[in-house]
Amino acid sequence: MSRITLKLNGMEVVAESGLTVLEVARRAGIAIPTLCHFKNRPADHHCGICAVEIADAQRFKLQPLPGADLFPACAVEAVAGMEVQTESKPVIAYRQHRLATLSQTHFGDCKAPCNLTCPGQINVQGYIAHIAKGEYEEALRLIMERNPLPFSVGRVCPRFCETRCRRILVDESLSINHLKRFVADWCRAHEIELNIPKERPTGKRVAVIGGGPAGLTAAYFLTRMGHDATIFEAAPRLGGALRYGFPDYKIPKDVLDYEVDSILKMGISIRLNQRWGKDFTLQDLRDQGFDATFLGIGATVDQNLDIPCDRFENVYTALQFLRLVNDGKKLDLGRRAAVIGGNNIALEVARSLLRFGLEEVTLVYPRAKIEMPAHQRNIHEAEQEGVQFMLMASPLDLCSPPESDARLKLNLIRMKLGEADSRGRREVIPVPDSRLALAVDTVVGSLDQFAVAGTMPGGELEAALELSPKGMIVASPRDFQTNIDGVFAGGDAISGVKSVIQAVVGARRAAINIHAYVMGVEKEAAESRFNFTRGRGFDDVSSQIFAGIETRLREKMPQRPYEVSRQDFDEVKLGFTEKMARREADRCLSCGCTAFDRCELKELDIAYNVNLTKSGMGTEPRYSIDTSHRAIDIDPNKCIYCQRCLRACEYDALELSAAALDQEGRPEGLVIRFKDNCVSCGKCVDSCSTGALNKKQRLVPIQGEPVREVRTTCPYCGTGCQLILKVKGQTVMEATADPEVGPNYGDLCVKGRFGHNFIQHPDRLKRPLIRRRPGGPLVPASWDEALDMIAGNFARIMVEKGADALVGLSSARCTVEENYAFQKFFRTVVGTNNVDHCARY
Amino acid sequence: MSNDIAGIEDNEVLLVIGSNTSEAHPVIALRMMRAVKKGAKLLVVDPRAIELTRSARVWLRQRPGTDGALINAMCHVIIRDDLHDKKFVAERTENFEQLRQAVTDCTPQWAEKITGVPAADIEEAARIYARAQRAGIYYTMGITQHTSGTDNVRALANLALLTGNLGKTGAGLNPLRGQNNVQGSSDMACVPSLLPGYRAVTDPEARRHFEEIWGMPVPAEPGLTATETMPAILDGRVSGMWIMGENPVLSDPNSGHAEKALKKLEFLVVQDIFLTATAELADVVLPAACFAEKDGTFTNTERRVQRVRRAVAPPGEAMDDLSIINLVTARMIGNKPGMTIRPDQEFTLPGGGRCRVFAPLPEEVFAEISRAWPHLAGVSHQRLDREGGLQWPCPDPEHPGTPILFVDSFPVGRAKFTAVTWNGPKEVTDPEYPLILTTGRLLYQYHTGTMTRRSRVLEESAPAPFVELHPRDAEALSLADGEMVRATSRRGAITLPVLITERVEPGVVFIPFHYHEAAANLLTNDALDPVCKIPEAKVCAVRIEKIAA
Repeated sequence: MSRITLKLNGMEVVAESGLTVLEVARRAGIAIPTLCHFKNRPADHHCGICAVEIADAQRFKLQPLPGADLFPACAVEAVAGMEVQTESKPVIAYRQHRLATLSQTHFGDCKAPCNLTCPGQINVQGYIAHIAKGEYEEALRLIMERNPLPFSVGRVCPRFCETRCRRILVDESLSINHLKRFVADWCRAHEIELNIPKERPTGKRVAVIGGGPAGLTAAYFLTRMGHDATIFEAAPRLGGALRYGFPDYKIPKDVLDYEVDSILKMGISIRLNQRWGKDFTLQDLRDQGFDATFLGIGATVDQNLDIPCDRFENVYTALQFLRLVNDGKKLDLGRRAAVIGGNNIALEVARSLLRFGLEEVTLVYPRAKIEMPAHQRNIHEAEQEGVQFMLMASPLDLCSPPESDARLKLNLIRMKLGEADSRGRREVIPVPDSRLALAVDTVVGSLDQFAVAGTMPGGELEAALELSPKGMIVASPRDFQTNIDGVFAGGDAISGVKSVIQAVVGARRAAINIHAYVMGVEKEAAESRFNFTRGRGFDDVSSQIFAGIETRLREKMPQRPYEVSRQDFDEVKLGFTEKMARREADRCLSCGCTAFDRCELKELDIAYNVNLTKSGMGTEPRYSIDTSHRAIDIDPNKCIYCQRCLRACEYDALELSAAALDQEGRPEGLVIRFKDNCVSCGKCVDSCSTGALNKKQRLVPIQGEPVREVRTTCPYCGTGCQLILKVKGQTVMEATADPEVGPNYGDLCVKGRFGHNFIQHPDRLKRPLIRRRPGGPLVPASWDEALDMIAGNFARIMVEKGADALVGLSSARCTVEENYAFQKFFRTVVGTNNVDHCARY
Repeated sequence: MSNDIAGIEDNEVLLVIGSNTSEAHPVIALRMMRAVKKGAKLLVVDPRAIELTRSARVWLRQRPGTDGALINAMCHVIIRDDLHDKKFVAERTENFEQLRQAVTDCTPQWAEKITGVPAADIEEAARIYARAQRAGIYYTMGITQHTSGTDNVRALANLALLTGNLGKTGAGLNPLRGQNNVQGSSDMACVPSLLPGYRAVTDPEARRHFEEIWGMPVPAEPGLTATETMPAILDGRVSGMWIMGENPVLSDPNSGHAEKALKKLEFLVVQDIFLTATAELADVVLPAACFAEKDGTFTNTERRVQRVRRAVAPPGEAMDDLSIINLVTARMIGNKPGMTIRPDQEFTLPGGGRCRVFAPLPEEVFAEISRAWPHLAGVSHQRLDREGGLQWPCPDPEHPGTPILFVDSFPVGRAKFTAVTWNGPKEVTDPEYPLILTTGRLLYQYHTGTMTRRSRVLEESAPAPFVELHPRDAEALSLADGEMVRATSRRGAITLPVLITERVEPGVVFIPFHYHEAAANLLTNDALDPVCKIPEAKVCAVRIEKIAA
């Protein structure tokens, strides 16, 4: 084989002759991007992405790419003396232009709207798909990648995701949050141990102050990253707002205990009854050798009611009251109560009051119901349980002497809407002479909550800690660090009271920054926000994409009737059954692309900074999605006509054609069709440069979650094809093959690529079974029992009838080592050559 | 295989006999088709119009069970026309004269009468095969699952030796193994007459070798084959059995007989990943790990030892088969009954699964195998992880493995021709059972279906059994396509729909053997080949009847 010398990016390279520039560069370690290249099967229609500059090109009589003085590296043979630039400015600009052009007609969603909307950026579509497949454990694992509190969040999340669910355009959104709760509860009921993996220990110690949602989350992610986390909690038990803010009817204590335990089990130290500023200071933590500190103390200080005479007995603030409730204190609350405020906490207070048997609970709020900051869902539930609302009213004072049958008299004034301010929000103003009074026994105010009252006690560091005027801890939005070096903060302590999932997100981001800080490394780049979408808002979505989808309303969450549930603190919502969860998960429209982890168009668009908002993307479906093939779905809307599928097919079983090509070489009137002779080997899908071809079974998009590729040997025929199993958690997601590895070099048959569902099949034997009496049924037994039974019976037969009365039948499905050990057992331990395997049939 | 898979593309001629390669070994069939695209001539010998026949230069459609006659006739033509490789025959073989005499009368005309293949086609195929520089033979159970299975293979060996098609690339005598590790199980001597590395148990030297490694005596009497075991149980000679990963209730020929025998056992242990029909008969069922849940090696059909790696943990308390064998061994020779088992290794996989493993571990067992069998002396798990699969013989750690056997010599020095006399199948058609049944695989299913029938795409692609029947036979029985029929042999009967197709010849029916709801092996014949005890699963006599509505 002759050798040639040429220059790549100014560097001299010696290469085999007869290779393309692309291949020479690849072997020299220079990756030239391409969307259409397929090894040994040249394209006749170039994507143009592999464009390179070649000096003095006329000399080589080359055909340039249309509209440029550049050449396709996949088609140009490397010749001695060539000077090739693979990364020059014109090359980059051309590639960017080509990518933008191809992207203009690519119509699809990279991520589903639910994923994009979730503050926790949970792979929502992914866990729903796992549920649809019955993979509940894996669904929970996926949630736990981003959210360590699925039990709590699954019960109290405001469900941002559900508001953006595209199914709303068909009938109703999916009950996403109920599904999350279902998998958490299911795994608990089935005693599933997730054994969440941890990185190797780093030797770094991090103090986490606060054992609520933020603190638990920070400790969880820090532990996963290999750090040694210690939680300092002022209360006698962990949980924070989850324990002391949400009453049992929302988050039962046994559920919370289980959730907290499952996090602690990872190896987190805890110090209870340790109040920051009183029992220890930030300096103490430094002195104890903690490398960083996370402040996740929540917003637990109530704003006072701030009306005259608010210091009477039987007047509470919200969190003070809920703490008493959640501690199970006996309270004398009388018959009637007023709750002042319209936030979510106020509603929990009101519903708790009902549960103490109060006859009348009235919530007072100066605006209309629709303007209350609480979630409408919570308002509705409180209303159903019998909470009364006195709207457009504001408290004045509690100073008047109460009437004989009440303990307090709450003076109120009616409010009305005034002029709109500059932002369009209309102030409320008192209506003159509209005073009225409520005769009540208990008043609870829930106006606002903040992190620190006045200044933070403790030492010098505490005194120096920057607080906002409202009493929140100030942390940089970029890295969550406070003004004190090595002290980070997140959750309600910096944001004020927000949802649990938002505290989880803040704490997770803080943990990522703490990791970078203690390890002295750069923070990993945040995931790109690049996203193809079939419509950002509902109005942008073409109704054609829902063609053929039948209306099916969401599953109704079973719950106790309100007139019953208001009588005690037992949980109101009972949770989906497995059947309901499966049905609900089946409603998912799977908006997001299941080729997310392999789409090369998206990858290159990101690498070449293509700005879809500027250059445009497909906005209308031009083709319908074809799901008629048993293993592969076709979405021509995503096809960029790279024709790799066609060239990959070993059977000439694929039809791919375009009625015409536009000026930019993009197809019009695209036809992608499997012919009758297709044997479903699936090589076309694994070669597709986008998500135009998708494996039906690959319902779950993989979005940056850790995936392992395990190289192994196919368990079917004797060819011994080498497989790559893509494994996420404990689930084999799919099987592919490496084009560079024999004996199959990327080829597989339908069994090799699609025949692995059996691994996770529910029918798998999971425990030894024995027949306790002859003719009796097979019943589960321990390994010890089973082994004793085998050893006993084998020994007995050997004594009574001789070794040759035993026979071993081995299997060609088992490994070499197992077969060796099996025959060795029979020849030595038993003492017979009665051992055979199934090669004869 | 004497040769390697990669070399298939270098064949000038491919003789595929008794192998529906496109369905049973699809990736190997792709290599064959590539060879054809490059200009290779494909000769297919099969009673059915299998996919490969569409690309065949010559398709010899023999009657089931007549392969031996056909091959002998090919040898006859080659010798008669002086097309044999005289140099190869002279230098590397012996007994040529015996072969010549044995096939003298095996004229193509003689074979035509037996096989139904036109004499001219036999002549053409023989000439194409013999004239090629590189011609490979590929066969599977269509050759071996006969009472004349051993003779069929010997006849094919004659053909390869006659034309010098051994010991060079793009040629050879290549059985395609039906299961992932048939080669490995055979190498490891899960065979009653052999010790690992194909050494006879009757050979005292071989026994001494293993007694030294194992530290225990090795019995000298060959044991029972699986096919001999079932009658032995019914005779009362066998009382206990341990079945690891097999499902003879479905896969054994005359499986009704197998079921009856297994039921008679005093004690049956079945180790599997599902509760198979066989496991349902067991006294103890042990939950095993599947390929994705354990470490070890499989040896493929080209003798390539390749790694199997754990991707996930076994479900529940299931365990890898090696650990189970180790546990049973320990319980029988050392540990007292009732002792609580403690794993030698317990660990969490990166994805969170928990695994318990009992020593010796797979790499330790493999190290012992390397010591025991010189062909694997150069192979270790570490080397496989570093370099990928290796083909034995691989005698030392520097040896690159052996893609092609017999390049310089045969293990016995010169290879012997064997005079093979054709004997027909044990069972022939008669007025009561007028049709020949042959069985085989489908692309979308595998063996008894325990795995494939639980994989959605596969099961949906081929969800139900059928019997292929020629339109002429269908007409005679006034059957419509899809109609339910009863197929009956001397051993049993099954009910299934009929598929009317010209894939089969008149007088021949085909049933895939994957389906428990219509298990073809209830019908097949358990008559054995006298040498290797393979059952005659590929030919028996049946009748097809319309089921009265």
